[in-house]
Amino acid sequence: MGFSKMPPQIVRLVLLTIAIVGSYLVARYFLTPKTFGDLGWFRASALEELANLQPVFAGKQTCVQVCHTDEGQKVLKHDHKTLSCESCHGASLAHADKPDVPEFKPPKLGYSICVRCHEFNPSRPKWHHQVVLKTHYPGQKCTECHVPHMPQEVP
Amino acid sequence: MKARITRRNLMGKLGATVAGLLALPAAKTAKAAVQNVLVSTTAPNAYNPKKHKWVMAIDINKCIGCGLCAEACKKENHVPEGLFFRTWVERYIITKPAPGSGEARGEVLVDSPNGGINGYPPATVAQEDILHSFFVPKLCNLCAHSPCAQVCPVGATFDSPDGAVLVDPTYCIGCGFCIQACPYGCRFLTPPTPEMKALGRAGTAGKCTLCYHRITRGLRPACVEVCPTQARIFGDLMNPVANDPIQQFYKDNRVQTLKPHLGTEPRVLYAGMDKEVR
Repeated sequence: MGFSKMPPQIVRLVLLTIAIVGSYLVARYFLTPKTFGDLGWFRASALEELANLQPVFAGKQTCVQVCHTDEGQKVLKHDHKTLSCESCHGASLAHADKPDVPEFKPPKLGYSICVRCHEFNPSRPKWHHQVVLKTHYPGQKCTECHVPHMPQEVP
Repeated sequence: MKARITRRNLMGKLGATVAGLLALPAAKTAKAAVQNVLVSTTAPNAYNPKKHKWVMAIDINKCIGCGLCAEACKKENHVPEGLFFRTWVERYIITKPAPGSGEARGEVLVDSPNGGINGYPPATVAQEDILHSFFVPKLCNLCAHSPCAQVCPVGATFDSPDGAVLVDPTYCIGCGFCIQACPYGCRFLTPPTPEMKALGRAGTAGKCTLCYHRITRGLRPACVEVCPTQARIFGDLMNPVANDPIQQFYKDNRVQTLKPHLGTEPRVLYAGMDKEVR
């Protein structure tokens, strides 16, 4: 039995189905973004776009291996060895990229840098060195008695 | 029934074939043009996401609640001011039980003012009433079966092959399903930038990307970088280094994850966690 011998309502139904499915396939072909589905149910090039954002923190390796090797060696011998340079000195990639740019300013934080970690707080673990500010030499600067890069040394 | 070959239908078939062949490259060009309008792509990168499996480990006993991680995260990822955090530090205070209550412990108080960036106000309970207290850094739990990626209707949130759960900002429609789906409260809706507002677009979902732009360059995430006590450890399960910190973390601690009963299989590991931490 040829196509033309089919009942007309069936022919119309078949043509309508082909039209709907076909237009869906055409729309899908044009509208699916490039790389969608390459790695999963997402646009694979989004990974590249996210990876191409610009960092702000340079990282400790960059600081102590490229330029500040002496300071890096000093800090390594003391309790502050686990700190990153940028924990206290602030984000410095701009300075690392162009050392001439006076980007490396001492940090101006909401509250003093030492106190941020070393003020007594009952929630802090017991092993951590803490002081009660009101009774620990009030009115004096931390650096009068402590060297930040070498906390065990006396200035 | 055999079709007869006539000049008429042969010419018709030939014409259709030629038209089809001519239309194919035209359709491909048109497709590329449409796609370029919808999404602009960037330069390729040498990083292969299939060759890494990132994992984050957090030792609660080492966290001193300085909030440097939360502050660095905001700076590194240009997270808007206010109550938007990709990582934050919670303070848990568990009080002593009331005498004669028959309980092992009293109330559990949790707070995280400004994510812990500006420190914590003195506890609302007297120091002698505190049974124990500690800080818990929180971030995206990097679920292997992430509920947020499952509910995303447009494929904007996805599990990257390297273990990061990411948001495609050009594809996110800002519907907020993922924010409701995340059992850890690690997502938020970023307010739209002025350019997006001009286009009439809503904000997009924001979350921890594991500092994807840093880890693909061989740097550590900003929170791990600035943590002064190494409470946060970051590693690659596919490429263990000598004295691998993650292997050491497993060796030294009893490790668990947040809400394991949900079956999300987080890739953020916690050591020294209390049962009250959620």
